[in-house]
Amino acid sequence: MTGKTGAAVDDAALIFPAETPHSLTERICAITLHEGESGWTPLWWWLGLGFALALLCMGVISVAWLFYAGLGIWGIDWPVAWGFDILNYVWWIAIASGGTFISALFFLLRAPWRTSLNRLAESLTLCAALCAAIFPILHLGRPWFFYWLFPYPNTMGLWAQFRSPLVWDFFAILAYVLCSILFWYFGLLPDLATLRDRAQQRWQQVFYGVLALGFRGSGRQWRHYQPVYGVMAALMAPLVVSVHSIVGMDFAGGATPGWHSTQFPPFFVFGAALSGFAVVLMAVILLRPAMGLHPYITARHIDTLGRLLLTSSLCVAYAYVMDAFSTYYGPDPADRTMFAFRLHGLYAPVYWGTIVLNIGFPQLLWWRAIRLDLPVVWLICLGVLIGMWLERFLIIVSSLARTQLPSAWGQYTPTLWEWSLLCGSIGLFLTAFLLLLRFMPMLAMAEMRAMLAHRP
Amino acid sequence: MMIAAFATQDTLHEAVAELRRDTACVVETYSATPPPEIGGSSIVPVLMLGGGMVGAAGGFGMQAYATILAYPQNIGGRPNFSWPSYIPACFELAVLGAVLAGFIGYCMTVRLPRLYDPVDEARSMRTVMTGGHAVVVVHGAEGNGAVRATLARHGALKIEDITS
Repeated sequence: MTGKTGAAVDDAALIFPAETPHSLTERICAITLHEGESGWTPLWWWLGLGFALALLCMGVISVAWLFYAGLGIWGIDWPVAWGFDILNYVWWIAIASGGTFISALFFLLRAPWRTSLNRLAESLTLCAALCAAIFPILHLGRPWFFYWLFPYPNTMGLWAQFRSPLVWDFFAILAYVLCSILFWYFGLLPDLATLRDRAQQRWQQVFYGVLALGFRGSGRQWRHYQPVYGVMAALMAPLVVSVHSIVGMDFAGGATPGWHSTQFPPFFVFGAALSGFAVVLMAVILLRPAMGLHPYITARHIDTLGRLLLTSSLCVAYAYVMDAFSTYYGPDPADRTMFAFRLHGLYAPVYWGTIVLNIGFPQLLWWRAIRLDLPVVWLICLGVLIGMWLERFLIIVSSLARTQLPSAWGQYTPTLWEWSLLCGSIGLFLTAFLLLLRFMPMLAMAEMRAMLAHRP
Repeated sequence: MMIAAFATQDTLHEAVAELRRDTACVVETYSATPPPEIGGSSIVPVLMLGGGMVGAAGGFGMQAYATILAYPQNIGGRPNFSWPSYIPACFELAVLGAVLAGFIGYCMTVRLPRLYDPVDEARSMRTVMTGGHAVVVVHGAEGNGAVRATLARHGALKIEDITS
C-alpha cells in the first residue's frame, strides 16, 4: 500500500523488509558522523538552529532583566501570584512525559513499535525536562538562593516543610531529571560504542570513545546490561506517573476553588500523556522525511501514536467532565462561581479553546485515513500542545482570579517579559534538541539490530 | 590471548561451546547485539534494590529527624511524626537511589570506564560494535594449536594472537 505517509510497503511493517542490521548501522552512523552522501548537515538544520538561537537570545535577555529588576517585571500580583512561571513549568514537564511513557512503559509491555521511537522520544524528554527545570528556579524571586530548596542542616536551623506537595515536587523533579538522563545515557552506551568504532575523524573517536566508557559488547557487558536496563525501565514508568501526580497535588493541596480535588493527580497524568505523545508525533512527522528515516519509522508507528493520542485525549475528556460534575455535585458555592467564570467570564475563550483543541480535534483520529494523513495529524498535535498550554493557563489563572472572597478577585495579564521567557524556553528546547539530533543517534541502533536479527 | 572473528553469532557460539567444554581457557565473546543465550544472572539488580532501600530509608529518616527533632512545627494540628506525608519524597528518593545504584553498579561490575583494553589491539575488534563480526577472545591461548584448530574448524574468518 502507498499512503500519504510515503510507505510503499505493508502498513503493518515496523521496518522495511529490505533493511538489514548492516544497512541500519550504515545509515544512522552516516547521519551522526556526517559521512558520505548521507552525511547530514542540511540547510533546514542550520535554519532551525538559527531560529532556535534567536528565540533563546530572547529568553536570555528576559532572564537577565528578571535578575536585575526582579519579579515586578511580570504581570503576577495578588491574587494571581502564579502566572507564566508555573504555567510553563507544568506545560514543559508534561511534554517531557511522552518520551518516558514510550521508552519505559512500552518497553515493559514489550511493544515492538517502541524500538524505533524510544531514542527520539527520550531525547525530547531530556530537552523538555531541561526547560521545565528552569522555571521553578526563576520564579523564586531570589533565584541565586535556589539551593535553599535542598534540605540541608543550614546555619539558621530551618528545614523544609515536608508535609507540603511543593517540597515533594522538588524531590520529584530532581529524581525525574537525573533518572531520565541516566536512563537515556545507559541506553545510549552500545550506540556510542558503535559510533566510536565507526568514526574516522580523531575528534569523533575521542568524543564518542570517552562517552562510550569502554563498552565493547562483551558477553559480560551484555549479560549485566539487559537486566539493568529492564529494571531501570520498570522504575521509570511509575516515576513518571508519580511526578505528574505530585505536580497535580501541588494544586490539589491548596484550598483554592477548582484545585482542591482528588482527581487532580490522574488528571495531570492524562494531560501529560496527551501533550507528551503530541510532541513525539510532531517530531516524528517532521524528522522522518528530513532525516530519511522512512525505512525505520513506518506508517504503523504513525498510526500507533495517533491511537495513543486519541486514547489520552479521551482520558483528558473524562477528567474535564468529572471536573464539571464534581463542581456542580459538590457543596462549595465558590467552586461553582469559579467554574461559571471559566465558562462565561474573562477567560472563557481559553476554556473553550482548551475543549476544542484537546478534545474536539483529536476525535478526528478515530478515522484511520486521518491518522495516516501527516499534515492533518501534525496540526492536531500542534493544537493539542496549544490546548494543553491553555489548560494550564486556565487552571492556574482562573482559579486564583476567583477565590472564595469577592474582595480578593482579580485578573492577570502577562507582560512582554513573560512572553519572551516562554519564547526563550521554546528556543532552549529547540536548540538542545537540534544539537542532540546532530551529534547523537536518533535511533537505538543496538536494539533495532537485535530486532532485525530476530525478524521472522 | 587468541582472538577470532566469525561472520555470525551462531557459528561463534558453536565454537565457544566446544572451547568451554574441551579447554581450561577463559573465553569471552564480543558482539554488537546481546548473545542469544546469556548464561548466569546479574548482581546489579540486587544492588539497585539496595540503592532503592537506602534512598527510601534515608529519605524517611531525614524527614522524621527534621519534623520531630530538628524543626518541629504544628502544621494544621498534625502530629510531628506524620509519616504518610513522607511517602512521596521517599518514593522519589528510592527510585533515584536505585537508578544511581544501577548505573554505578553496572560500571563497577563490568569495570567501566575502561577506555583501553588489550583486546583493542586486534583488528577484528574494530568492527564488532558496527555489526561486522562477532569475536571470541580466548585468554591464555597464545600459540595453542588445539584452540586455533577448533576456531578454524568452526569457520573463523580471521585468527590473531595478541600479547597482553
